[in-house]
Amino acid sequence: MRCTRVLLLAKEACGGPLTLGQALGLPGTVSCAQTPNMCLSRGFRTSMRKSSSNPAPTKREEKKEEAQPSQKSLVTDDFFNRFDQDCRNKATFSQVVDVFCKKDVRRRGHVEFIYAALQKMPEFGVERDLRVYNALLDVFPKEVFVPQNSFQRMFNHYPRQQECGVQVLEQMENYGILPDAETRFLLLQIFGRKSHPFLKYRRMMYWFPKFQNLNPYPMLEPLPQDPVDIAKLSLQRISADLDARITVYQMPSVEEETGITYPHIVGIQSPEQQSLLQKHSQDRPVYIEGPFPLWLKKTCVYYYVLRAELSPPGEKEEEEEIDPERNFYYPMRMDMDLERDLGDDDSFDVDEVEEGLIFAMCMVGSGDQATLAKWISGLQETNPILGHIPVVFRLESSPHEIQAVPEVEETDEEEAIQSQKMTQ
Amino acid sequence: MALTFKLLNKVGYSPEHQWNIFCPLAKLAFAQCTPRMHSSSYRRPGVPPDNTPPWKKIDFNFQKGVKEVKKHFGLLKKELVDHWTGPEGRPLVEHILEQTRVLWEFRCQQDLEQWVVSSDQEIGGRSEAYLKLGKNNQTALLCGTLNTNVPRDGETRYSGYCSMRSKLPQAAFNRLKHYDWSSFNSLHLRVRGDGRSWMVNLGTEMYFSHQKNDLYNYFLFTRGGPYWQDVKIPFSKFFLTSRGRIQDNQQPAWLDKINTLGFTLGDKVDGPFQLEIDFIGVCNDRAHTEEFAYEKYKRNP
Repeated sequence: MRCTRVLLLAKEACGGPLTLGQALGLPGTVSCAQTPNMCLSRGFRTSMRKSSSNPAPTKREEKKEEAQPSQKSLVTDDFFNRFDQDCRNKATFSQVVDVFCKKDVRRRGHVEFIYAALQKMPEFGVERDLRVYNALLDVFPKEVFVPQNSFQRMFNHYPRQQECGVQVLEQMENYGILPDAETRFLLLQIFGRKSHPFLKYRRMMYWFPKFQNLNPYPMLEPLPQDPVDIAKLSLQRISADLDARITVYQMPSVEEETGITYPHIVGIQSPEQQSLLQKHSQDRPVYIEGPFPLWLKKTCVYYYVLRAELSPPGEKEEEEEIDPERNFYYPMRMDMDLERDLGDDDSFDVDEVEEGLIFAMCMVGSGDQATLAKWISGLQETNPILGHIPVVFRLESSPHEIQAVPEVEETDEEEAIQSQKMTQ
Repeated sequence: MALTFKLLNKVGYSPEHQWNIFCPLAKLAFAQCTPRMHSSSYRRPGVPPDNTPPWKKIDFNFQKGVKEVKKHFGLLKKELVDHWTGPEGRPLVEHILEQTRVLWEFRCQQDLEQWVVSSDQEIGGRSEAYLKLGKNNQTALLCGTLNTNVPRDGETRYSGYCSMRSKLPQAAFNRLKHYDWSSFNSLHLRVRGDGRSWMVNLGTEMYFSHQKNDLYNYFLFTRGGPYWQDVKIPFSKFFLTSRGRIQDNQQPAWLDKINTLGFTLGDKVDGPFQLEIDFIGVCNDRAHTEEFAYEKYKRNP
């Protein structure tokens, strides 16, 4: 017990965990440590300290050491600020970590360094890199924070370092990175089995795989660079119909002579929608509405729909009557009113939300009327009836809230309703 | 002791919630005077605590009193009559045989008043969320902007959420009431989102007061696009969290003591969002026999 108190006192006096052996002297370390390999490692570090050219610290030097921690955070900040905005990447980041590890055997100020590194990770673009996190965990000195006896295990052994380790893991969790065997090995080496960071690791390994593949609408990670590919992917996702066919009406290109850019036009239409459009009455117009946002993980894309208004309530679509005698072998229509019990009724007692039919969807590079008109003329090849139906543009006139439309420039086209009679 | 006090005071549904658990009778006395607050009792860092004694918050208003009395006696009468007809005001046969039930649908402004919309503006963030009726007054449209800028108060580390939660069901004289969904096993939603993933939260009545931050959560993935999407989430899939942290000891939710249902968006992406909800119902999926989807070991991970 007295030994522990001495340990604690020594820790406070020295300000750093690694000068323990030195403060106590070698025989003291041996007596308080229980496992032989541990005292070996401590003895080794002590000898390292002694082997350096510095003699035993004088009073002045101790003062210097005490003054250092206040500067520590500044120093670690300097590590990262040394690099400009341009050359901040994974290589420079690992270089910084290496420099810190090699600077001091005792890794003095590693907790501050790790906190600073965690903060700087997004700037260096390495926040989703598991190897970088492992390298950061590697900064912790090994086998020093492992509790040696039951009392240390009972109380929070080296709480500041454990908190820091948990913080590293939490940042991994926030960015959705699954730790691997190396992380486990490092944590075991640094903090031991009964420690908060290792518990956090176990929790992550337990819950992450359970929820990893839950999303029924998975997206490629990372997204393709080509906007046409993105448009194809997202149209396939929102059409919710495997029969739907994607057509690229126009590839993005720039005409060299005039400098006119042609934005991409990608549309999707299913056979069912085609037949519905065939049946659409020629008196009532169809509308192009949009842009509506669609989020693919972190990017927002916009799509346009070609749709009809709700038909007025009096005007009911007459269904095609099939006379019962068309086929003599089996009935064309069965009127069987199977008596259903209340307990068999699985439908919900709600009014159906009535909305106009959707005939096609598209994604374009620039959402002006000329581009969308090109889409309609492309649609006419498969749907000749579109030549006889008036098409009305209702861009940004829908009540859907679109606060920011960064890509699409349509400020001067508010309520630009223009009826176009397409003639072939 | 101080820690316990702090914990109790941090985040909770309402001050009355604590009253109810410690002393059910005190609630009856106080509930009349103080309206049930749905804002959390969270206190922002740097803001002094509100030390106004409760008797100063009482608003004596004769008109309001008459209105409240009318409302509560009306509720009491309805309760008595309903009890005479059968459980929850419907004949027993219907109650036993029903396979689906529509809990909330959004057809008028009164339907929206059963919901509370909140965002991280409570903690100093800059997200915005609004709930309004949809295009032809048939749906609810929850829209706004998510902003993950962390408030600069030195303590808050994460920010950026928007949520919508149903109000607590109440019987006459502000007694607590719970939804009883024990005869169903799935939650059925008809939604239309914009591709973002949400979280569905079930708030259940817990046994101890320190469990008042516990919620049962599951994910709601939206496809996006112009079509409606029917989502069926079995109750067995809901996992227990407390203050957003998933818990080691899991147990199935008590379906006969459901207090609230909510939707939360917090996917760490800045930008506008929208979620259109047609209706929210529960159904009995006879093909689903799972009791609980997660292991119920003593020591989980």
